[in-house]
Amino acid sequence: MTTAVAEAAAAGGAGTATGHTLDASLAGGETVAGGGAETAAKPAGKTAARRPVRRRRPPRRKPVRRRAAPSGPWTEAHVNRLFWRAGFGARPDEAAFWVKQGRSATLRYVLDGGPQGSALVGPAPSVEGRPLDPVNEWAHDGLWWLDRMVRSQRPLQEKMTLFWHDHFATNDQDTPLMLAQNRTFRRHALGSFPKLLRAVTLDPAMQLFLSLPDSDKEHPNENFARELMELFTLGKGYSEGDIRQAARALTGFRARWNDNGFGGIYYDRERHDAGVKRIFGQRGRFAWTDVLELAVAHPNHAPFLATKLWEFFVASPPSRATVRNLAGIYRRSGHRLKPVLAAILDHPALYRNLDAPDMVKSPIVFVAGTLRTNGLGVTYQSLTWMLDNMGQRPFDPPSVAGWEWGPAWMSSNSMRVRFDWGNRLIDDDALGPKPGTITQPPASPAEALEQALAAVGRPWISGVTRSHLLEMAARFFDDLTPRTRPQRRIERAEMLQRSLRLILLAGPDAQLH
Amino acid sequence: MRASLAVTAALLAAAFAGAAADAAPRSTAVGVAQREFRISLYRTTVPPGTVRFNVTNFGEDAHDLAVIAPGGRRLAISPEIRAGRRHTLAVRLARPGAYRLLCTKLDHPARGMRATLRVKR
Repeated sequence: MTTAVAEAAAAGGAGTATGHTLDASLAGGETVAGGGAETAAKPAGKTAARRPVRRRRPPRRKPVRRRAAPSGPWTEAHVNRLFWRAGFGARPDEAAFWVKQGRSATLRYVLDGGPQGSALVGPAPSVEGRPLDPVNEWAHDGLWWLDRMVRSQRPLQEKMTLFWHDHFATNDQDTPLMLAQNRTFRRHALGSFPKLLRAVTLDPAMQLFLSLPDSDKEHPNENFARELMELFTLGKGYSEGDIRQAARALTGFRARWNDNGFGGIYYDRERHDAGVKRIFGQRGRFAWTDVLELAVAHPNHAPFLATKLWEFFVASPPSRATVRNLAGIYRRSGHRLKPVLAAILDHPALYRNLDAPDMVKSPIVFVAGTLRTNGLGVTYQSLTWMLDNMGQRPFDPPSVAGWEWGPAWMSSNSMRVRFDWGNRLIDDDALGPKPGTITQPPASPAEALEQALAAVGRPWISGVTRSHLLEMAARFFDDLTPRTRPQRRIERAEMLQRSLRLILLAGPDAQLH
Repeated sequence: MRASLAVTAALLAAAFAGAAADAAPRSTAVGVAQREFRISLYRTTVPPGTVRFNVTNFGEDAHDLAVIAPGGRRLAISPEIRAGRRHTLAVRLARPGAYRLLCTKLDHPARGMRATLRVKR
């Protein structure tokens, strides 16, 4: 007695020929029949066969009283803050447009998306002039998703897809399954949490990652039940007994494997423990759907999720009143996500300290934002190792607890690679001065800085940085004499532009939003 | 000011240390996942020509990947791929037919580490 549950989710997996067929000639450096060097799939010291290791969360910070949000007009600083937090930044013309539209219209656009719907707008992704093959080529899956972040007209949907990828962190599963999970996150990104939770529970990548198909009434596996309560829905307010009983209720799933790999998840009632369980003080012959409903109905769920969503968008922790309010909105909406997100994105706390951004951009947000705000496409294979070295490779969170967000992103090595990335954009002329376009030194430091700002999407810089850059520009020609050749002055002016642009793209201010 | 310029200079030096060149894949790529005791092919049919098997060992043991022609001749075999590692095995599969892929370690094929790739014009 079996019931097909999630075989469709394996689309693109074993048994299907997907992706783009490339040229038949051999890639340089590889050998036919057995040659080629083994390459590291993971950063040093990591293994792909990891068990879902859970790490301790950092201690919660105390709410800090901050400067009040500036009241008054809706400015470019407001738009930029909103577009960075709810997406991957705004181009200068975009920011100017949404200032004119006003706060309400801008929030509506961010929450509902533009008239272009799910269309991707901008240069298509490619590697060495060829389309991506996210299923079969290593790391093209990450580039494929990065492209969506860069070109989507629903950036909040992509940002929330990233949030769910971290919240329901899964790794080391077959690429087609990870891509299918990514589509699930996107489909439910701003919708109903219970529907998302149900889809995630049936998701093959998640099932295999947390051993649900290995869990039967004889040997119930607690992995999924534990993470369901600790990381996915509650955080606290449950017991080890609740986990054990929920694990019993979650038994019955099985994985089908065929000659060429994974063939789907199905439900086998014979393997399900149909006995009476006691979960959160309630007794019943609970099955897997009941466990999900019990978790969502638990009094700790709404505050838990509201807090986690808040912390994804706002640097300062929420007050108790804010959590109560957000949790109430969430419950009253029938556990829908968009009303909560609307409340967070409209909250004055999101717009505090517009002159001093206080959230660190994660590597993915940093890279996608640089491309998006400059109208550039995903055409760099090198992004793969750069994101890895920055500490955030898409589809590869470090554990079931996801990434550690915030200042933890700013390691010395990560910062070096962020500069590599900025340098790459300047070096290949994407954002560097085009040959022959600088014909004379700048008339003033201010002109040099303005030229650099205009060239790299007008990123935010602090007043202190501005004055330092102006001073750098002012001194950049100090060692030249009246006898210095004009060509050398022009070369120096080019060097100044490269330096200014690099600092604007990857300097300390560029790490914050 | 001097300190900030020094920091800037250091950052610039680090940045201009450079980036690796982008690779240029040519041929038909086939994603392959290995774990105990299964082989998953992300693409099961390819045109004749050079095939690059992009193998990831998601398992806990070391594996390899051998490519067997329709007549039974072993065309290629990868070196041992340790847990968590990757390897690209490039093989020219010029003739249409069903090619077997397997891990040659111990009894791994018998336990399920085998798959079939079809080459079709």
